[in-house]
Parts: sequence; C-alpha cells; structure tokens
Amino acid sequence: MSVDGETVLEARGLAKRYRRGVWALGGIDLELPAGGITALVGPNAAGKSTLIKTWVGFERPTRGSVRVAGIDPWKDRSAALAHLGYVPQSPALYDGLSVADHLDLARQLRPGFDRDYARARLAQLDIPADRGARDLSGGQQAQVALAIALGTRAPILLLDEPLASLDPLARREFLHVLTDAVRGDGATALLSSHIVTDVEQACDRLIVLGVGRVLLNDSVADAMAAHAISATEHPNAVASFGSPDGSRIWLVRGAGDRPATLDEVVLGYLASGRSTAAAA
Amino acid sequence: MSGALTWARLSYRQQKWELLLVVLGVAGTAAAMVWLAIMLESLRAASPECLEGIADGFVGAEQAPAVSCQGITSQYFETESFASTLLYLSWAAPFGMGVILGAPLVARELDGGTAQLAWSLSPSRIGWLLRRIAFIALFGLALLAVLAVTSELLAAAIFVDRPLGEDFTWYGRRGLLVVARGLGTIALGVLVGALIGRVLPAVLAAAVVIGVVFAGVSLGLDQWNRAEATIERRFLEAEAGAPSNLELTALGVAYGIELVDGEFLSYSEAYDRGVEANYGGVDGKVFESEADMEAGRFIGYDAFLIIPGERYTELVIRDSVVALLIGAFALALTGLVVGRRRPA
Repeated sequence: MSVDGETVLEARGLAKRYRRGVWALGGIDLELPAGGITALVGPNAAGKSTLIKTWVGFERPTRGSVRVAGIDPWKDRSAALAHLGYVPQSPALYDGLSVADHLDLARQLRPGFDRDYARARLAQLDIPADRGARDLSGGQQAQVALAIALGTRAPILLLDEPLASLDPLARREFLHVLTDAVRGDGATALLSSHIVTDVEQACDRLIVLGVGRVLLNDSVADAMAAHAISATEHPNAVASFGSPDGSRIWLVRGAGDRPATLDEVVLGYLASGRSTAAAA
Repeated sequence: MSGALTWARLSYRQQKWELLLVVLGVAGTAAAMVWLAIMLESLRAASPECLEGIADGFVGAEQAPAVSCQGITSQYFETESFASTLLYLSWAAPFGMGVILGAPLVARELDGGTAQLAWSLSPSRIGWLLRRIAFIALFGLALLAVLAVTSELLAAAIFVDRPLGEDFTWYGRRGLLVVARGLGTIALGVLVGALIGRVLPAVLAAAVVIGVVFAGVSLGLDQWNRAEATIERRFLEAEAGAPSNLELTALGVAYGIELVDGEFLSYSEAYDRGVEANYGGVDGKVFESEADMEAGRFIGYDAFLIIPGERYTELVIRDSVVALLIGAFALALTGLVVGRRRPA
C-alpha cells in the first residue's frame, strides 16, 4: 500500500486529441495523493474516461505524460499495471463464463490475484460463483468487475463510471463494498461519475473536470469550506465562486441559511469554469 | 493444468458456434474421405479382374473394359470422380479455418469490450495473446491433421500402386501442406481481427486478405518453381511409335515451347513475343505455319517445365515452411497491434 500523502497518480500537461480532431483533454496537470476515495466528476465528454484510460495505458497521450506510482504506463506498462485495479465503464464480462471462471481467468492473467478474497467479497453479496455472467443483473456484473479489481490487491483502483447503469440500491451497495475495501486495505480509489450525488457519500476528495481541464482538486471538506458563505453575505445563496472578471458568482438555490451540498459546489465550479473558458 | 482448462473453456465459450461449424465440416469431410477410400478398396476387391488395369487411377488406354465389367468400372470411376472433387475441400479447408476461427478471436474481445478487462489485468498483452491463441491453434492443428491424414488415405486408395511420397498429384490438397497452410491462415485471420476489432467486418476482410496473400504466395512460389524446373519435351507419339511421355507424377510448372536455342517460353509468353506457334506434330515439334511444317522448319518443341516427383517431399517442406513463416509474421504483427491499440 502507498503511504498517505504520497502522489500515486499524476498527469503533466496531459492533452489528448482523438483522430477526428476532438480534444478530450486540453493539457491538464493533476496530482492525486495516496489514500481514500476521490471522486472524478464532470459533465459528459469532460474527458473523465480518457484521463482514466491514459493511466491504465489504454490511451496514449497526444501531449504531456501520466504516471502511476511514478511509472509512465506507456514506457513500462506491466510495472504500472501492477499498481492498478480497473473497473471499466461497462463491466464487459465474458458472456459464456461463470463468475468463478472470471476469477480463475483473473488469477491466470494477474500474478498474485487473490481469488479467495474476491470470492469472499462476492459471497457476502450472495452472488453465486457458478452463475453465468449473462445471467447476472447489471448491479451484480458491476460487483463482479469490482471484486476482480479488488482481487488484484492493487494499491490504486480506477473506476470508470461504474455506477452509470445501476439502480439506486445497486449504486449504494457498490459504494458500500468499495468504501469498505478501500478503508480496510488502505488503497487509493479514483471513481468517476457525472452525477455527484452518486459519489458524495463515499468520497473524501474531489476532482472536477470540465472543458478538458481540472477545475478543482481538493479534499471535500476544504472545497466545501472554501465556498461556504453566511446568510449575511447573501440571503438566498448557498455558495460563492470567483468569476473571471474578479467579481463573485452567487449560487442561489431557493432559501438560504443552509450549507451548500457537494452537488451545488460542483455546479458552481462547472459554471465558473465555463465562464472562465468563455472569457478566455 | 487448471489454467489451460480455463483458457480452453474461454475459447470454447467465446467461439462455440465457429468451432462447431468447423468440427462438423472437417468431420463430415474426413468421414466422407474414409468412406470413399473404403468404397474404392471394396470395389477393387470385388472385381479385381475388371479393375486391375486402373489400379493407378487411370484406365488403361490400350483396352476398353469388357462388357461384363462396364457396370463396376463405371461405378468405380463415379466414386473416384467424387473422391477427386472431395479433395478440393482439403485444399479449401485451411483458408476457411483462418476466416472462421482466426478472424473472430481477438475481434470479439475488442468488439465485446472484454479486452478491457483482460488487458487491465494482464501485465503482458503478448502473454494474453499467446494464451488466447493457444487453444484455437491446437484445436485447428488437430482438425487439420485429421484432414491431412484422411486426404492422404483417400489419395492412396485411388493411386494404389503409386508411391505418393514422390508424386505431385493433388499437390496442396493432402498431407503436411494442408496443416501448414491452415496454421498460417489462422494467424492471418487473427491479425485481421486485431486490426479491425469488429467480428463481422473482420471475417469478411480476413477472407479477402487471406485470398490475396495466398494468391500472391502462390505466384511467388510459381516463380521459384520455374527457376528450379527442368524442361520436359512432350510428344503424343514419337516417330518410332513410342507412347506419350506424359509425366504423371511431376509438378507441371508451365506449358509452352522449348525454342531451338533451348529457351523455354510459355504459350502466353510466346504470344506476347509474337512467336507464332500454330502447328504441332505428333513428335512434339512446333511450327509457325503449315508451309513450315511441310518444309520441316520447326521453331521448337512442345514442352513442359516440370519438377520431378522425386522432389515432392522437398517442396512440401519448403512450401509448408513458407506458410508457417507467413503465420509467424502475422502473429508477430498481431503482437504489435495488440500491444499498441486501445481495447475498445
């Protein structure tokens, strides 16, 4: 496991342009310290998946570089992967294989894969090992994908919108398992989502990605505190943000006199980020 | 062992229908070959007096079958004709296996998104690829070996008295070359699938690529053979009345004229050069005109470029190595593609 505070994921001037000329990432700098669960949030097409895939070595940066535990995955993929567990956007399991087959396969592919640990996690959720992947619900498939990632016992977990297709109960269960595992193992998890409320309950840290760049990378507590306002500052606002021209943007959401939610803070960042981009 | 079983199970589950199709095709063809070989053998055993003269696969030109033998002779030739046709399947099967078994192998992983799971777990994509291919390659090898053996068995049942180890008859439709071509085309199919990443387009493209590559290889080998071939003058009947010298066991590389200066031209090359080769005599001499023929002014001899049957094993090994090298090259390229491409 990594030492808390040590940088485990890093991006330097990272830009990614796809073949059709679309820039998914516009030169971002980012460091993620070890420990806890970080939510990577942003609207659709903000570049969340692209960012995660460059760390996994699935996407090659057009400019800049990325590092996983200090290793460039494009220079030494196997060393970088040894630090990573990955849950893809759609759990993409082998249709014809059972859950147990998937764990066997993972053990074949990944040296040190802890099949018993993964199996125990699934047993806790009453997911039968002999059931075929195609017979599992979406939530169960996501749990199998998570159990495989956890079974790698990797110190860094990258989860690419695993909650997107799950119902609220399955989301809650997924996050519970993730939180439990990360807290227990001292791992670092980066969980992307475009719905902040999905991840709010689980994350300690927040990265807001918008317009292909990082708008916020801070602990949840600090982010909330930085924009908190008192009722005397604005009667109906719940948070305030700086705007490009130096004035303040007030986030007005109904009656004031209540703390802003994380969702609202993210909304504020996205709004001010768009203003900044427009001004630029 | 359990690891190998896991990969075998994955391959089977991923390509169940393709494997079933190939198994049925090969089993049906092999069973038909064995059955026809048994039929030919039993026909000969039933009427040795009628079929003795055709034991080498050709009816004796000097005698027509007796009236009492006409029924069984006719039945024998019908069976033999069907057997010859069936041997085309053992020529086509290796190419079909490349398309059906090779192309979907990596393409389905990319198409279905499972490559993301596998590649995020495996420290080496090459290691994954090799393990992923191993079962299909071994399975294909076993099926191709069945075809190779049964095709040899059928050929031996037709040409009872000819040593087929020194005979180019049905070259490429029997024996080792069937296996080597099959493995080469499977690797080519895998490469196309890895490049395209979608199952159906990969299957269609693999059919084209395999066809083009092996047509090119065939042209290249023809040139190689031509460089090594010897000229064999052909005559239907020598001046002295000797029978045709048609070399049945040799590999015919080209048919044309041996000019009087010793150069060999195929008839199409002769045409391109403006050499008129319109008249031929029974002794194999070729004349430009009727007047030349009457005057005895010939331009050369009707001739084949051949590789004699004694070199059969040598050429089978050479051509098999070429097919396997193509497969190895395709596999190396697949490794590069898999190592660099995005998984979905």
